[in-house]
Amino acid sequence: MKYDKQALKQSGFKILSMIIPVLIAFAIGAIVILFAKENPLKIYFILFDRSFFRIQGLLKTLHYAGPLILAGLAIALSFKAGLFNMGIEGQIISAGFVVAVLGYLWQSLPSIVLIPLLLIIGTLVGVIVAILPAILKARYNVNEMVVTLLLNYAIIQVLEYLTSNVFRDPSSGYVSTNMIGQSAIMTRLFGSKLTMFFFVVVVVFVIFYYIFNRSKLGYEITAMGKNRFFAEATGMRIQRKIMIIMLTSGALAGLAGAGWMLSEKFSYTLDFSGTPGLGWDGMLIALLGSHSPIGILVAGIFYAILKTGSSNIAIFTNVPAEIIVLLQALIVLFLSLKMIIKAASKRASKRKEKN
Amino acid sequence: MEIIKTIELTRMFGDFIANNQIDLTVEENEIKAIVGENGAGKSTLMNMLYGLLKPTAGEIYIRGEVVHFDSPNDAIKKGIGMVHQHFKLVPSLTIYENVILGIEVERKIKLGKYSFSLPSIDHKYEAKAIQDLIDRFQFGLKSTDIVKNLSIGAKQKVEILKMLYRNVDIVIFDEPTAVLTPQEIKAFFVTLKELKKQGKSIILITHKLQEVMEVSDSVTVIKQGKVIGNRVTKETSDKELARMMVGREVLLNVEKKYQDYSKNEIVYEIKDLTTYNHDGIKVVNGISFHLRKGEILGIAGVEGNGQSELLDLLTGLSQSISGKIIFNGIDITNKWPDEMRTQKIGFIPEDRYEQGLCLDMSIAENMIAGHHGKKEVCKHGLLLTQKINEKRDRLIKSNDIRVSDCEGNVSSLSGGNAQKIILAREFDANPELLIAAQPTRGVDIGAIEYIHKSLLNLQAQGKSILLISSELSEIMSLADRIAVIYKGQIIGEVNGINASREEIGLLMAGICERKPENEVR
Repeated sequence: MKYDKQALKQSGFKILSMIIPVLIAFAIGAIVILFAKENPLKIYFILFDRSFFRIQGLLKTLHYAGPLILAGLAIALSFKAGLFNMGIEGQIISAGFVVAVLGYLWQSLPSIVLIPLLLIIGTLVGVIVAILPAILKARYNVNEMVVTLLLNYAIIQVLEYLTSNVFRDPSSGYVSTNMIGQSAIMTRLFGSKLTMFFFVVVVVFVIFYYIFNRSKLGYEITAMGKNRFFAEATGMRIQRKIMIIMLTSGALAGLAGAGWMLSEKFSYTLDFSGTPGLGWDGMLIALLGSHSPIGILVAGIFYAILKTGSSNIAIFTNVPAEIIVLLQALIVLFLSLKMIIKAASKRASKRKEKN
Repeated sequence: MEIIKTIELTRMFGDFIANNQIDLTVEENEIKAIVGENGAGKSTLMNMLYGLLKPTAGEIYIRGEVVHFDSPNDAIKKGIGMVHQHFKLVPSLTIYENVILGIEVERKIKLGKYSFSLPSIDHKYEAKAIQDLIDRFQFGLKSTDIVKNLSIGAKQKVEILKMLYRNVDIVIFDEPTAVLTPQEIKAFFVTLKELKKQGKSIILITHKLQEVMEVSDSVTVIKQGKVIGNRVTKETSDKELARMMVGREVLLNVEKKYQDYSKNEIVYEIKDLTTYNHDGIKVVNGISFHLRKGEILGIAGVEGNGQSELLDLLTGLSQSISGKIIFNGIDITNKWPDEMRTQKIGFIPEDRYEQGLCLDMSIAENMIAGHHGKKEVCKHGLLLTQKINEKRDRLIKSNDIRVSDCEGNVSSLSGGNAQKIILAREFDANPELLIAAQPTRGVDIGAIEYIHKSLLNLQAQGKSILLISSELSEIMSLADRIAVIYKGQIIGEVNGINASREEIGLLMAGICERKPENEVR
């Protein structure tokens, strides 16, 4: 691929817009660390050294990055097309729940059959959850942001009911489904947390890299996101594309949920997806990565570093692990600042054009 | 005496110089035309004179006195008024209420030698004051009429009255004839001359050179933010002005050979097409016409008479509730835009930047839009970057599109060059029928010439063209037959070769003496 000035400038801007909010967040985080009477540089060194530059730490980070990257892709896919699938979280936990239940019921099946089957089923669950908002949007132009967002809460409540009543593991001391069978658990590789699921993520990532950057569909998604009327007038069937995009986005989320279940959680609990939830993490990752696949890969790994690093910080220093939550929050804050600046500069250039 | 004089007036937007040291002089009691292509800086200049924009540098003198305007109110106080292209009127109020809006006259009570204002409006006084004003300038309106019942021409007069009531002596008109029918334009010129007779000075911003020649006393030509030259109208010609505007010799009217197409087969037929808009109004009301092979059918009409809605139906963007569209014997009613394209129908949409192009995408990406699934650029769902770039380079060259950076986005191009991208894209797909809507709206004279030539070229290859345009001269110089649309209906049809402006103008105003004749097929 030929790199020209404009593209270089654009990708330069993208990289900067990714790095600057992170740097500011770390700078402010440093001040807070100073209050805890610790050396910020030391803390940050521990953060990256133990989670990225040591092989075991790196493998652990990659393990956590898997579902995050998928969630990020799911968000980016819809956001790029100007659609706002805020239902990633609901799609992830639905898939996780179904896979947990089936992983327990079908545990007599051999791993080689069961694991791929459950991953596929999880993906389909994600699709099914996305169908309702997709149809409402494509056919009746109902705001998908509202529908998907609210659907999350409905799903959380339904799953809570199912987990604490119908599918509850009676032997467990807390609300949880039965643990999935041994044959449904993905084996750990290289003596680390990493499982085959990460390689599934890599394959999916490569496919989506091509879809985003090279494919006809990617082109149409970009066109839709940038100018819907243009896309419509040049014969890209918007309604069909909305269905495809929303369902694919749901599929990615479903896969993320299934993988998270089979490689990490093994039973559905009420905090299956953590705080704030994989779906919301995915949103941050997509924003941080400017909705580009490579950006999401980098952002997903970075985010996983923060996640795995927080326990190391708690173990090796006097700084509480919550410092990571603070960093995450600050990054979100400065990312939104970036978007405000971008919108303002766009408005300014538009005004210039007008006159 | 010089009533307005600007010295080295400059306005910048960031690094962009919209007006570069403009020296403009307007004599008292003259009609000054300011001409220039779109984006030349006419509007910026006027907005500075009217107080909407502040100059970056330079001075404005009114009657020899330096002025600094913070708002249009300041300008009005100094006697400068402006009539905008898009009217700013309250439709449900009467003429006098619209004129007086903002400076209402309160009723007064007299008690001996004291007088008190009451918090109610003196309608009687207001109506009479405005009627007097109307009579003085011979506008032929009744001040108590409701504005929404007025014709466009009359609404424009109300806008002028607003300025006259505020005692301005200099009236700026921004593209005043864009929305008028030919008859209304004539009436408008009478109004202008009346204003002049009564001692007003007038600045006319326009890009229609015919009008400049007809009505103005002097002309200033602006190009790329600079004054290119000043001329006395009597001593110049539209050709010279066009040359100054574009910087080279241009053909104002392309030459067209008329032929008899009535023996050719019908390729495109619209039968009784009807649709409603969102408000449930029948905006396209039983439209029928047909197009023969190799023919250009023009659809003329004042904007807003259903052209856009008709176009949406023809391009597959909205659905008709009844009627048929038949192309080469195939029923394509309510088909999707991509299905229309596979039938070899090309589209030049009305709104270039909304439907025709995606500003934030590259030139290459815009050039394949609508045809991006074709084998030449797409294999197994993957786009062939190299082939696309080759296509881009080929089309840029063959259509003489001026780009500073061929990898850049379409937003960096001028209106004319942006339109050329659409043209190149649609022509390259080799359509049997081209539906061109407002193909030259907002593009410069040089590009107009190019676009008109390309359309005739396409016709010469035996293709049919449906031309929808509100620019009457465009339709008259290109179309073989001209149908006129009025309130969602085709109100009449005339032959292109012997059509007269008056005849079409009457139809555009909705006046048809005979029943619309159905052409024999």
